[in-house]
Amino acid sequence: MPAETFAPGIPVEIGKIDRELKKLWAEDGEAKTRASLINLAVYSEAAGSLPKNTQIVSEITEDHACRAIVIAANPAAKENNVEAWINVHCHVSHAGSKQVCSEQLSFLLEGPSARLLPNIVFSQLDSDLPLVLWWQGEFSDPMDPQLWAWVDRVIYDSQTWKEFPIQMERLETAQAEAKQRIVLCDLNWTRLFQIRLAFAQFFDHPSMQKRFDEIDSVEIAFAPGFRSTGLLLAGWLAAQLRWSGAKQTDKNALSFRGRKENEIRIAFAEKEVEPIGRCAMRCGSAQFVVEHAPNADLLDVSAGERACRMPAGKNDMVRLVGEELMRGGPHRVYLRAVNCVRGFL
Amino acid sequence: MSTTAETQQANPLREGLATRTVPQACTVVIFGATGDLTMRKLIPALYNIAADGELPPQVAVIGFARRPKTDEEFRKEQEESTKKFSRQQVRDEIWDGFAQALFYHQSEFHDAAGYKSLAERLEKIDKERGTGGNRLFYLAVAPDQFEAILKNLKDAGLNEPRDGGWARVIVEKPFGTNLASARELNGVVRRAFAENQTYRIDHFLGKETAQNILVLRFANAIFEPIWNGRYVDHIQITAAETLGVEGRAGYYEGAGALRDMVQNHLLQLLCLVAMEPPTDLGADSIRDEKVKIVRSLRRMSAEEIGRNVIRGQYSEGAINGQAVPGYRSEKNVNPESKTETFVALKVRVDDWRLADVPIYIRVGKRLPKSGTEISVHFKKAPAVLFNRESVSLDQNVLVIRIQPDEGISLRMQAKVPGTSFRIEPVKMDFHYGTSFGKASPEAYERLLLDAMSGDATLFARRDEVEEAWAFIDPIEEAWQAKENQPGLFMYPAGSWGPEEADELLARDGRAWRRL
Repeated sequence: MPAETFAPGIPVEIGKIDRELKKLWAEDGEAKTRASLINLAVYSEAAGSLPKNTQIVSEITEDHACRAIVIAANPAAKENNVEAWINVHCHVSHAGSKQVCSEQLSFLLEGPSARLLPNIVFSQLDSDLPLVLWWQGEFSDPMDPQLWAWVDRVIYDSQTWKEFPIQMERLETAQAEAKQRIVLCDLNWTRLFQIRLAFAQFFDHPSMQKRFDEIDSVEIAFAPGFRSTGLLLAGWLAAQLRWSGAKQTDKNALSFRGRKENEIRIAFAEKEVEPIGRCAMRCGSAQFVVEHAPNADLLDVSAGERACRMPAGKNDMVRLVGEELMRGGPHRVYLRAVNCVRGFL
Repeated sequence: MSTTAETQQANPLREGLATRTVPQACTVVIFGATGDLTMRKLIPALYNIAADGELPPQVAVIGFARRPKTDEEFRKEQEESTKKFSRQQVRDEIWDGFAQALFYHQSEFHDAAGYKSLAERLEKIDKERGTGGNRLFYLAVAPDQFEAILKNLKDAGLNEPRDGGWARVIVEKPFGTNLASARELNGVVRRAFAENQTYRIDHFLGKETAQNILVLRFANAIFEPIWNGRYVDHIQITAAETLGVEGRAGYYEGAGALRDMVQNHLLQLLCLVAMEPPTDLGADSIRDEKVKIVRSLRRMSAEEIGRNVIRGQYSEGAINGQAVPGYRSEKNVNPESKTETFVALKVRVDDWRLADVPIYIRVGKRLPKSGTEISVHFKKAPAVLFNRESVSLDQNVLVIRIQPDEGISLRMQAKVPGTSFRIEPVKMDFHYGTSFGKASPEAYERLLLDAMSGDATLFARRDEVEEAWAFIDPIEEAWQAKENQPGLFMYPAGSWGPEEADELLARDGRAWRRL
């Protein structure tokens, strides 16, 4: 088998992919195990995405055995061109005794052939396994209903979207037309996982829950370009704590009505920090703070004088997608959070 | 396995964040804090939970033991052992925070004053760390210490939930040496803690595949309809070890394989394999079904024990090409010891599902290979077509591997490619380690989290333990009888046990599965 590089692998004719894959396995003398739990299709229209996504897939497969179908598309190209490659990513299993390998099929679709996406994806799926589609960038209109009818989970990153409402509407329309449950997995929401966990644990003890009604302000510091992440965090608090009446009070602040009709102000500040560098919640005299120092992989979590550290998780695609693949499940809470701040995203 | 509904209702911010019950802030008091279990398993498990971000930051740990030691010395010792035994690398920045929550409390187990000062310390920790009066007492000591500890906890009022919090006790095996002593121990525990405060640990149940048995059986519609005497020929449960007694001779001489492994771990596995679907995933619903199985185990007369239970002891031999001594030559073992290091049993469960399905259990030390697994052997296809007398086919076998290399495999028949019509067994094999890259948490991590969450599903209930002893006791009694005592068969280390164990199956026209 080829040495692991971030080139997409051995060039093959599309019609001979299966045969070439078999050959690839047969030629290798070493004992290796092919493993696959999902079909992971990665779609990008960004220039140079193929080697970058090959590297990401290689790292994802360390923890998530899959058949990866990596597609680089350039629908705007004048020339019609289709190319394909095959590759395998092998890693020693955690038990340390086996080489576990995942297959990657890569496609370059240029010009009108970019419309072949559903056709290509369908024909290369590992049967009976769920299809996770990771769509990088913006969704274009119209979205191909053929494709969406087959997708079980769609991964996207709303942080990169220019127009959140338009993109979300396209996604929701595709979801409705698909007539099957597609789970929406927003990596911008996944970024908040550890911060949400850190906040939630403050209120685990029943005696702490009366504090919810004492919340009067929240401050969220976000990195340039991550305002939407901060808004989603605010949306989560509002949705879960049943705040209502969202209003933009100024450019950098929202206000909500709490359950006891009290006003809750959420202030946003852009700083050179991690996506969410700090979130502080004031409840009367008490303050709950979660801070993420730049480049740190631990959060500093404090409630008054009590402080501890919790995992922060890196803001990189491998970690975020891996987290999504590991957790699964529906995203009701995400949709509620989106709906609370949809008008401001 | 309880749902998270209760916690979610209490804390709306938890919704969607966890698919398990949320552990609550508490102080964990470990009795026997300088012992092996604490150093090798408990503190490393708590550290790993903290490193994964699942340990509530308020959690404090108090090590309670006899030797004089400062908090700092205790922290230093635990740091060294955690670095040695933790499944993930110890990171200074996480350890430093974790270590600040480690305290040492020096006292004799029977000294009432030590518990009074413990109570004061717990109150102080409650105030300082916000543990809300929740206390988890872990008895990592020999059972002969239980009574003194539990009585003193009660006298100091530490057994009572206070300030809306809870008090729980985790009890390590061995839980008794027979039914009478188990009842006595249960009585001792019950005098201080109610059953719903008591968590009897069996670390086998914390293993990923043991938990997966219920998922395999009840989340896959294809297995349940054939999981009965109509389709299942027999079941085998094997727990094999290459190791000998390894410094545990003092304990093992008095216990033997039957008490050490069968009464607890293997009967727990048997319950998971044989039980009916529970009404829900609540701890008591699952344990209700498990206890029915232990109750349904057919009791054996002395004569039946002689026929259906084979005990063995290893003599000198070789493991992996290395010569090893016989059991009687091991350090601290009586040279005339009659302690069994191997047991094979044929048991019957008298219920509708498996009434006609024999279950063969074997456990042994110094066997050629280590491994714990359950294999369900299905009946052969009808003796027509491919299964005529001349080409009798193998059975379909579903194997659930508990350790090592956790996974599930299914053996079936397939045609060998070619012009001839040759049929050979093939194996569909699922390995956790291959399919799921992430390493599973250690059993103790899962069980400690469960105890902090108040989820007792993976802990043995009093009646389970007592019913298991009620099944085991007649076997031990027959072995100790003055007359007609069943033999103790010797087997060379590195073999698969005495020949008599093979005959146990051979007379039913069966054979042990090759591991």
